[in-house]
Amino acid sequence: MATAATTAVSVEERGGSRLSAAALIGPATFIVAAGLLIPIVILFRYSLNKFVPRLMMVDALTIESYVKFFTDAFYLGVFFTTVKVAMICTIACLIMGFPLAYALARTRTRYKNILIMLVVLPLFVGNAVRAAGWMTLFGSKGMINAGLVGFGLVDVPVQMMFTEGAVIVGIIAVNLPFMVLTLQSVIESIDRAVEEAAFSLGADPWHMFWRVLWPLALPGIVAGIILTFILGMNAYATPVLLGGPEFKMMAPLVFGQMQLGNWPFGAAVSFILMTTTLVLTVIAGLSLHKRYRR
Amino acid sequence: MARLELNQLSKRYGDFFAARDVTLDVADGEFLVLLGPSGCGKTTTLRMIAGFVEPTSGAVRIGDNDVTQLPAWKRNTGLVFQSYALFPHLTVAQNVAFGLEMRKAPRSEITQRVGEALELVRLGHLGDRLPRQLSGGQQQRVALARALAFQPDVLLLDEPLSNLDAKLRQEVRVEIRKLQQSLNLTTVMVTHDQEEALTMADRLVVMSEGAVRQVGSQRDLYERPADRFVAGFVGRSSFLSGSLETPERFRSAGGIAVACRPSTVAIGPATLALRPERVTVTPEAISDVENGFVGEVEFVSYLGGLIDLHVRLSPSDLVIAQIPNREDGFMPRTGDKVHVGWTVASASVFPGSGDDADSADL
Repeated sequence: MATAATTAVSVEERGGSRLSAAALIGPATFIVAAGLLIPIVILFRYSLNKFVPRLMMVDALTIESYVKFFTDAFYLGVFFTTVKVAMICTIACLIMGFPLAYALARTRTRYKNILIMLVVLPLFVGNAVRAAGWMTLFGSKGMINAGLVGFGLVDVPVQMMFTEGAVIVGIIAVNLPFMVLTLQSVIESIDRAVEEAAFSLGADPWHMFWRVLWPLALPGIVAGIILTFILGMNAYATPVLLGGPEFKMMAPLVFGQMQLGNWPFGAAVSFILMTTTLVLTVIAGLSLHKRYRR
Repeated sequence: MARLELNQLSKRYGDFFAARDVTLDVADGEFLVLLGPSGCGKTTTLRMIAGFVEPTSGAVRIGDNDVTQLPAWKRNTGLVFQSYALFPHLTVAQNVAFGLEMRKAPRSEITQRVGEALELVRLGHLGDRLPRQLSGGQQQRVALARALAFQPDVLLLDEPLSNLDAKLRQEVRVEIRKLQQSLNLTTVMVTHDQEEALTMADRLVVMSEGAVRQVGSQRDLYERPADRFVAGFVGRSSFLSGSLETPERFRSAGGIAVACRPSTVAIGPATLALRPERVTVTPEAISDVENGFVGEVEFVSYLGGLIDLHVRLSPSDLVIAQIPNREDGFMPRTGDKVHVGWTVASASVFPGSGDDADSADL
């Protein structure tokens, strides 16, 4: 009797939870489907169209835009620069972010929430505004150069604006909080006693890190790498404002082409950017996982 | 294995002493248990031995070496954590091999020692499993094997049984003790469970508020508690507050006079502690004990083989008695008048009669 009643209740509950699960994931699924997939399909279709200067986009089924991209040294240069900058930024974020995330995860201070807010704080400033801030720092009359010239360390201002270095620094500054927050939450979930166990077994901090912390934090490391790499590949405001007219990355190139009205080529560049990001992310994720999973 | 010495070890956080002047000497092959309520400093002391807490003052010596300044990874202590802290990404065998790998032992030696350590805890067949595929008891044994495989100088156990269910706990207790004796391991265990402490230890250390209250054998602590804290914490006691009138006579606040062992406690406010099983309860007056009183049964608790009674001797004097469940069927009920008695040797007297003296174990 009692058993039957409980079973009935639990079945009802399960049915109910299935309904509410649908309600929970429904809106997000709809937004993703309608707002992302449909435009991507349309964009892909565009990339196969033809561009005729006076007529703009003409319906066709050709891979002309893709061929143009991969046979032109300029576009290939933009492509490799983008991949290189995104990789450098990702690695730099990981190296700088891990110690910070570790300290944040392990601190026992009651100001922890404030410290986390400080990490997030840069995200309150939009990319464009922040890049403008960097400009006042990097410019030939900016703070750094004023200091260098003022102390007589250099005679003429050092060219910092409109260099690859400036763009890399700018993107790292944007991406670092994402890496730190991702790593921090994963490190926090690792039992501190496991680290102490490694120490008590004779592991110095270096061995503890490589043998215990790193493999256990790997899911977070992979997530952080994916997140910052995607953000780096798709950076727009920072390369435009800090890189200047000479320095080109993929996202500005896409927008530039569309401004010129060349939708087929812009769409093709978008697709190349998207596919490359996806492939490199999957490769990075798989190779990291394979090394530590037996 | 080696001797372990703690000399005036203290840890202070601001004004708060987590451990104060802890001085202990653990002989080679001895099983010492640090016993006390939570926050008494036993875990801090263990962590200072392991090297995870830096002492504010004092010294830790293992064998002939002063290790006070050494980091944890250079101390050669084997530690079993309360949560076991197994490496979740490594197999059982890899967990056990970890300490040997850190010591750069040759591959063949590692394989052999890992095998031996796993046999020791009867887990030789589970070397390829991951920790999460094992039961709690098995994980506990892996943690033990891991702490022993690299042949540490001292074995440290931090509440190692508290995550096991009651039945398993009793088995593992015996198992660890046998292993410790057969390998002659110098061992320090921390626990708040006095039954665990009493059954496993060669010697016990009772701690409270960061300080060592008494060091001794099970019998020492039970028969001759050093102070009223120990009397209340190890075993049970009922406490009567009052004052010592002469070195051999205690008078309770409720006015009853108790003859007791000649004590060194100063004349004046004092507390009398009495073990429940030393109190005799009968329907008629008792002739052959020094202390006989009449009281009213206030509470009866039937425990099977034993019966717990709360007997009120005066409005402010309550005594707990634990009597055997006898064949003659003497079974007092609430409200009954009974005679209680105890010998001179059964009671201990401690200085001070504070209200905090109220029996924690009622």
